Parts: sequence; C-alpha cells; structure tokens
Amino acid sequence: MHIRNFSIIAHIDHGKSTLSDRLLQSTNAVSARESREQFLDSMDLERERGITIKASAVTVFHVHKGEQYMLNFIDTPGHVDFSYEVSRALTACEGAVLVVDSTQGVEAQTVANAYLAVNNDLEIITCVNKIDLPAAQPDEVAMEIEQILGFPAEDCIPCSAKTGEGLPELIEAICERLPPPRAAKMPECRALIFDSHYDDYRGVIIYIRVFDGELKHGDKIRMMGTGRTYTVTELGKYTPKPVKVKSLGPGETGYLVAAIKTLQDVRVGDTITSDLRPASEPLPGYEEPMQMVFCDFFPSTSGDGRGSQFEDLREAMAKLALNDASFTYAPVHSEALGFGFRCGFLGLLHMDIIQERLEREGGVEVIQTAPTVTYQLLTTAGEELEIQNPAELPDPSIWKELREPIVRVEVIVPKEFVGDIMTLCLSRRGEFRAQLAISETRQMLTYEIPMAEIIYDFYDKLKSMTRGYATMDYEVIGYKTDRLVKVDIMINGDPLEALSFISHKDTADKRGRSLLIRLKKEIARHQFEIPLQAMIGGKIIARESIKSMRKNVTAKCYGGDISRKKKLLDKQKKGKKKMKSIGSVEIPQQAFMAVLDQGE
Amino acid sequence: MRSLYAHVPFCFHKCHYCDFYSFVDNADRQGPFTEALALELGALARWERDGGFDPGLDTLFVGGGTPTLLALEHWERLGEALHGAYAITPDTEFSVECNPETATPELMALLASIGVNRLSVGAQSFHPQHLKTLERWHDPDNVERALDLAREAGIRRVSLDLIYAIPGQTLAEWEADLARAIAIGTGHVSAYALTYEPNTAMTVRLKQGKFEATDEDLEATMFERTIEVLGAAGLERYEVSNFAASDPATGGPCRHNMAYWRQEQWHAAGPSASAHVGGQRWKNAPRLTDWMRSIHETDGGSPITDHEGVDPSRALAERIMTGLRLAEGLDASEMLTRAESLGRTAALEAAAHRAQEHGHLSFDDNRWRLTDTGLLFADGVSADLMSALD
Repeated sequence: MHIRNFSIIAHIDHGKSTLSDRLLQSTNAVSARESREQFLDSMDLERERGITIKASAVTVFHVHKGEQYMLNFIDTPGHVDFSYEVSRALTACEGAVLVVDSTQGVEAQTVANAYLAVNNDLEIITCVNKIDLPAAQPDEVAMEIEQILGFPAEDCIPCSAKTGEGLPELIEAICERLPPPRAAKMPECRALIFDSHYDDYRGVIIYIRVFDGELKHGDKIRMMGTGRTYTVTELGKYTPKPVKVKSLGPGETGYLVAAIKTLQDVRVGDTITSDLRPASEPLPGYEEPMQMVFCDFFPSTSGDGRGSQFEDLREAMAKLALNDASFTYAPVHSEALGFGFRCGFLGLLHMDIIQERLEREGGVEVIQTAPTVTYQLLTTAGEELEIQNPAELPDPSIWKELREPIVRVEVIVPKEFVGDIMTLCLSRRGEFRAQLAISETRQMLTYEIPMAEIIYDFYDKLKSMTRGYATMDYEVIGYKTDRLVKVDIMINGDPLEALSFISHKDTADKRGRSLLIRLKKEIARHQFEIPLQAMIGGKIIARESIKSMRKNVTAKCYGGDISRKKKLLDKQKKGKKKMKSIGSVEIPQQAFMAVLDQGE
Repeated sequence: MRSLYAHVPFCFHKCHYCDFYSFVDNADRQGPFTEALALELGALARWERDGGFDPGLDTLFVGGGTPTLLALEHWERLGEALHGAYAITPDTEFSVECNPETATPELMALLASIGVNRLSVGAQSFHPQHLKTLERWHDPDNVERALDLAREAGIRRVSLDLIYAIPGQTLAEWEADLARAIAIGTGHVSAYALTYEPNTAMTVRLKQGKFEATDEDLEATMFERTIEVLGAAGLERYEVSNFAASDPATGGPCRHNMAYWRQEQWHAAGPSASAHVGGQRWKNAPRLTDWMRSIHETDGGSPITDHEGVDPSRALAERIMTGLRLAEGLDASEMLTRAESLGRTAALEAAAHRAQEHGHLSFDDNRWRLTDTGLLFADGVSADLMSALD
C-alpha cells in the first residue's frame, strides 16, 4: 500500500473546496448524494462565508496502475489569520496541490501559501482551476505561476473542479509526483496533532499524523508539550465517514478520541507519544498560538453589576473556547461599560468570526470595542509590559519605549493601481520593501506597515481603490518603536476609556478630531449640550460639541398611526436601555467603533 | 357609530415621502373597488344595526391615496352606498381629501350633493422646486382654484395641507407659503414637518446620503414660526400640526381627527383603513386584490391585520400619547383615575410632576397641557408619562 499525504492550498475562492469534493468523487469515496457542497467544511458559518476555518483530514483509497494508494488529504484554512494552523497541517504532509483560479491568476494568498509549503519542504503540484469558464486563461496563469513562484509552466495541470476535466491527471500526479512518507526514525510513537475539533457527544477529536512508531486503540498516551496523559478510546479515519481502525502506523493520518473534555487541553502542533515508552524528544516546530488582535465584549444591555447578561456572555465565551483553542478571553471591568471580557484573536477575520458566533450560537448581544493590537512597553524601571488595551497604559512619565507590531504586507494588484496603493501604504506609515512584476499587467508590492494601521479598514480601502482587484496577505515580522502617544476621549467631561487609542504623534490630532466628528454623528442630541474632547496627557488636542436637542415631536399622528407610534415610543424607551450611559449621556454601540475612523 | 374612515388607495403617482397605502392604478380597478367598498359599507352598517347601534354618523372622512381621482360615476355610486348605509345629515362632518389638480366644478358639485361639507386640499408647498423634491407635480396656482371651486359648490370648510423642513427649503420660503395660505383664505391648516417614514424611497435616498435632511434647529424654528404666523392670522393651533379659525362654518377643528386624538370610536372601510371600536384596534388588509377578494367572498367582510384586543393599560397610554398633542390637553383626574385600576396612579402623578418641573407640562383647571417648550418635546414627555404605566 502506497501512502500519499497532501494538502490543497489556494487563495480564497479559487475553488479549493470544490476541488476537494471533486477529488473525493473521482476516487469514489463519496457518492454524489452524500457529497454536500464543500464537503470538508463542517461548520455552518464556514459554509456561509465560503471560508474553511478548521482543517480536517480525509482518507480515500485509489488504484493507480494496478497498485493500491491510500490518499490522505488534509484540508487547510485558506486565511492568513490561521497561518499557524495551515503550517501545522502542512507539516503533516509530504506534498501540496497549489490551486490557482485560471480566471484570476496568482493572488496574495497564493504566494503566501506557496511559500509556506516550500518552507515546509513539500513537493508541489500546481494546477489551474476553472478552465471551463469563458474567461479562463490557463496558459497565461501557468506562466504567472512560473514567473513568480518558479514552478515550471509545463508541469501545471489545467483542470475544472466543476466539470471534472483534468481530475484524472491530477490524481495521477498525486500518486506519481508526490513522495511517500519518510521512514520511521525510532520505534517509539510520535504523532503530530495538526488539528482538533469539539464534538458534543465524544468530546475533543484530535487529528493526527503518525511519524514514528505506532498508535493503538487502548494505548495510554502522553502529550509531550502539556504532559497530560489520556487513554485512546477510539482511533479512526474519515473516509469521509468515520471508520474505526485498530492502529495507525508511520505515515498515516487519522483521528483520535481520548475522553478529552476541552480544546484548551489540546495544543495543535503538540506531539503525542506513548506514556509507557515515551519518545525522547517531540517533533519539531510547536508554537503557542499568538493572539495579535484584541477587543472587549460587553453585554449590550445596561446594568452595572454582574447581571445575568454577563453570565450569559460568560457561558457563550466558554462554549466557544471549547471549539476554538486559539481564541482567549479574560474578564475585564470598565467604568463606563461594566463587566465584560477582553478577547484575543489570531487576526481580524478570526475576530469577526468569533463575534458572529457569539451572537449566533450564544444568542447574546454584545457591544464590541474597537480592536487594538498588542503593544510592548518598556518602562523606565526596565520592565517590559504587554499592552493589549490602551486603557492599561501607565502614565507616560514612566514610558521608556513603546513598541508596536509590524507586519509585512504583500499586495498583488493590476499595475494601473500601483500608485494608489503606494499612496495608501505611505499614509499608513508603510515602508516600501519591494515591487515585482508578476505578469505584464500585474505587480506585487511588499511593504512593512505597523499592524495598527491595517487592522480595521485597510483591506476595505484596498479593495475599493482597486475595484476589488487587489489581494493582500500579511505576516507579523516583529516589533518596532515609534513616536506613539495615547489619546483619551472625554464626553461631557467624563473620560471614556473604551475610546482611548494609541496613535502616531503626527496623526494624533487628525485622528482625534475625526473620532469626535464620528461621535457627534453617532450620539443623538440630548436636552443639554454635550462637549466632546480629545486629549493627550491632559492637553486638549481637539474639541467638538453636540448641540442640545431642539425638537422631538412626531408631525403626523392619525387613526392608522396610533399603534405604530406607540410602538415607536416603546422602542425608543427600549433602545435607551440598550445604550450605555456615561454620566447622563446615552451612547449607542456604534459610537464605540468610532475610534476606528482613520481620519482620511 | 360616531366616526367612519374610508380609504381610496388610487394615486397619480406614488410620492417618495408617502407611506400611506396608495398606488398608481393602471388596470382601471376603480369600478370594482367602488363596488367592493359599497359592499363593505353595507356590511358594516348591518353589523352595527344588529348590534343595536345608532346608524347616525358624527364624522365621515374619505382619505387616500387620492379620493378625488375617483371618476364622477364612482363618486355617485359611493355617495349612494354611504347614504344607504348610514344616516348622513348636514350635522355630519363629511371630509374628503383632494389633490388640487383633480378639482373640477362637476366633481365639487357632486361632492356637495352627497353631503361633503369639508375639503382638505394637499397644497404641500407653493414653491415648484420644493414640490418637485416631494415629487408632487401640481401647479401651485391650482390650489387656490380648487378652494374656489369647492366654495362655489357650497363646500364652505376648506383646509390646506402644507409641508415644511423640505430639503433645501429656507425659513423665508416657508413663511411665504404660510402667508399665501392665509391670503387664499383657508379656515384650517395642517402644517407638517417632513417626516422620513421607514420604507419610503425618500428615506432610502436620505440614508444613501443622496441629500441632507433639514437641520434640526431650522426645523424647530420653522415650527415655532408656524404657530406664531398662523396664530396671528386667527388660525389657532389645536393640535401639534393642526390650526383652525374659530368660525365653525368655515373653520374649526377637524372633528374627525379630534375623534382619533380623544380615542373615541371609528370604523374603517377600504384597504389599509384602521378602526378603533370597543377598545379594540385593527387594520383592513392593505392589498387591494386581497381586500376585494375577501369582500366578495364574505359579503362585505374585509380581511384584517394588526388586531389588538382590549387592554386598559395600552388604551390609557394611547390616550395620553394622543391627548397631549392637543391644545385642550388631558383631564388630569380622569387619567389618574384610569391609572388607579393599573396601580400606577402615584407613578403617573410623579411623572407629570417631573414634566412640570422641566417646564414641559402645565397644570391648570385640572388639565395637563404641554407648554410651548413642552410642545417641541411632545414625544419625550408622552414617553415619560407612558413609561409610568409599565
């Protein structure tokens, strides 16, 4: 039996999931009836957003030139936020199929994913997908792949996941061109955890790739990173239906169940060994997931105490954490917003997904504060602090150095937009690193930009400036110091720390002013005038005011309007309850996002 | 029954600020509609007689849409049906809404002959550019003509509808509109601040940022000026947006609308019309085809929606909400007595006190009335009083 472990990697929407489905069908692993669209994505949210969030592994059997092949294919998340998970999944493989949409060409995530695969020493098969579409340019795109990534155009396989064209050639290439798994290096068991998910009935399900030794049903196992021990109650493979097996040997992938209660107990990247005969050292490459973006969630209904909404929110958070080990949460208290949670995310998409799942699955309404990045503060006492919230920053007198995370951003864009993108990057304190022609019409730009400058609307701006043509990818490359200041916001004389933000000194005035203007729009007029101020260390840098309300009276109220008008007044009362009161000022949820306005 | 409202849904054009049930009739359904309305009126009157009610009507209001878009023959048929169903006397206030373009000597004569004694004309503005913003296409000069034709036919009580705070409208232009309305000699004016109703084309355009709404300060100033200017001309404000001359023969408050604000009883005929009878509220189904089908299938019964049963708490809240809009205000002891059965007397009294302290409410002759300042914040004051009942 020949084994091939491989992943399919692609830029988002280039047809990875459809291609996975097609491969399953071509090997007769799934009947058409069973094959729901995008088979490997199991969460509703993933299906809706068309994004694969959690990786999973499927094993199919295939006969090629009279020989039996066990094909293990490992699905990877397509988004950069999950690049650590992608890299773990790739570690479990010997090869990868790089899919590029033949109507779109090489995009930013194509490049990022290809580099990731190359860095993991994977053998790569390139293919151009969607060749059934009239706009397909398979030859040109194959040339792009050669030019930018160096994979020969003649090796590129044209295919259509939709019609099935080219699929036999692709499977043949997988069998012939991808290398078999390496031989075991030791008799002791070493298996890499490359993914895990939570199942309501069986607890945590771990996806593993066995590198050395053997793993058997009933084995007592040890996680080498955490030191925890468990007994294997089930081993199996998804074909894609789960099929139990007695053991998994070197080179094989499968799943493992061991009465593990929460995902927090499992670290993706950790090595599983036998508790009785442990390996001397784990497989290389384990890293803690790193949260780069933080924001606070508060229950949206008022009430200063730890009311039931707070408990509901806590419950929803705990439930989500069962399912997603890379998201963190800790209780936080704000003068203005009461009790809530400070949450950490791998990136912005991850944050959006968590917020949506909280509201959808947890049924709680939340007020979300603006996302911030993690800053590093070196104090005059030589202490190094991680700052996840501008409100936590101590007095500037004890700052020695405030550092911010820097990302390397790669943007692929039609060349007529290069100037616009350069202007945008420059306005976000970006430093130019490289410019590369991908083809006659498209260029790849590389910039280093403070992460804080891209966390909110950079991607949207990029998309709108280029009529949707630009694609981008980023990677955190380190921390750098700059002239940073903390800007505080006062509403009617009361500080609202949830709106404090860290800014570059040169843009602080502009951002402060634009935040106040946004607040002015978001906060309704009250019966009194409301002064708004932005300050740096007690010095006012911008001010605005919300004029007092002049009029609050419905013009028309006749026979058919009465019920509706009463409901409207009831709704206004309820809406008031949903707002947060700062002093005597009612502040709506949207106001807390005002801080994201970059003042452009 | 004291009052009856009949709804005629046809229009020339669906104005972009309008959220009433109305549409442009391309299929000439006026005939079938009038027949169905006649059936419904007959059924309503039958049920009332069976219930032992007096067939007399204190007020009758035909609104729309554009009721005067109905052809003469249909008006004739509608007149017959109304008189067949109810005892309509010269004491009945019989109002009809009228688009200035539709007024003809023949129509006015016919309306007068079936007992119409009050005509409410949708002037909206005397400035063509503002009419255009509202998507009204009539010639402002036709307003005066419509009023003259009505008076010549013997319809002596005429009212003008005007709209202010139209995007781009200046205070001076609004004052000119008021002056012209006074000069034409109307006994009644309804002056509305332009309201952005949800689900109207105009609100969508506003939200898309296609234009800017009038500044709140200017709107408030326009409102205050309206009260001053019309008051000086003898048109006294009797409701937030309604002004009447004192002579009941040519002016006076609209008694039909007073019935709404005093939460009296009214029946409803025609698609989307609302009724309030015996403490219950409902609305006729708003789709012409659904409404007509049901009328035919049930011998005059309209399908209804939005039914609300008897609820003393809601009834009191609504009484407060609409009553505060009136210059006559509310009978304080009556309100407090009604709050007693809900166990909310003390809370209501406290809320009224707070409103008095804020200078929004006055208390004289045992009546709560909004002060001049309070009038500008009528919604907030009524919301506060209403929440005392929760």
